[in-house]
Amino acid sequence: MAVMRHRKGVDPHNEHGWPPSPAEIRNRIGACGGTNLPENDLAVQHLYGVNMDVRYNVPMATFRSLIISGRGAVVPIWYGVVPAKFDASPGFRGGHGVYVNERRASDGAYLVYDPLADHRRASIPQGPQWWPASLLQKAAETYPGTRAGCVHASFTRDTEV
Amino acid sequence: MPAKDQLKPPPKVKAPIEEHKKHADEFLAREEYKKPKDGELAVSDEAKP
Repeated sequence: MAVMRHRKGVDPHNEHGWPPSPAEIRNRIGACGGTNLPENDLAVQHLYGVNMDVRYNVPMATFRSLIISGRGAVVPIWYGVVPAKFDASPGFRGGHGVYVNERRASDGAYLVYDPLADHRRASIPQGPQWWPASLLQKAAETYPGTRAGCVHASFTRDTEV
Repeated sequence: MPAKDQLKPPPKVKAPIEEHKKHADEFLAREEYKKPKDGELAVSDEAKP
């Protein structure tokens, strides 16, 4: 999702597949297990010419400004704090990555794309969900190495310019 | 005594988009957030099916 946003859906027309595929990104990283933000950034640079802005311990107010002003972001979260309504992998309580596309002005909620939300079972949500800002903050700041009130994030370019 | 409506705080004014963009650009230029410090670079885990 972040690559699509960054490129505004435009195919780079190179030797790699399009649209972006998680399998191709993981294959580029050579990952059998988890990945991290800089690994993903290097992979999407190679595959799609997308250079994300990776930042650590971004204060939540600054994160909000980056989203409002026209960027999307990949955010590592701790899945153990995700409540049942948004839980797309019951029983999983580890580190995970979600994509945040926008913020809703009326209530401050964030539109979160969880790659696990594929409705593979009736109880699993499907597609993007509006997460309360408090939930996104809690899930992000609980991720190992993240300070209270902060998020790690990999930002797309500003697509609103 | 001041009239009741004079005691009300001024309405909150939302920051215009230009201010968010300025804040965002200034933040992204700062070096201290670009590199992970000790313990900040965790990896994600494999989700259960």
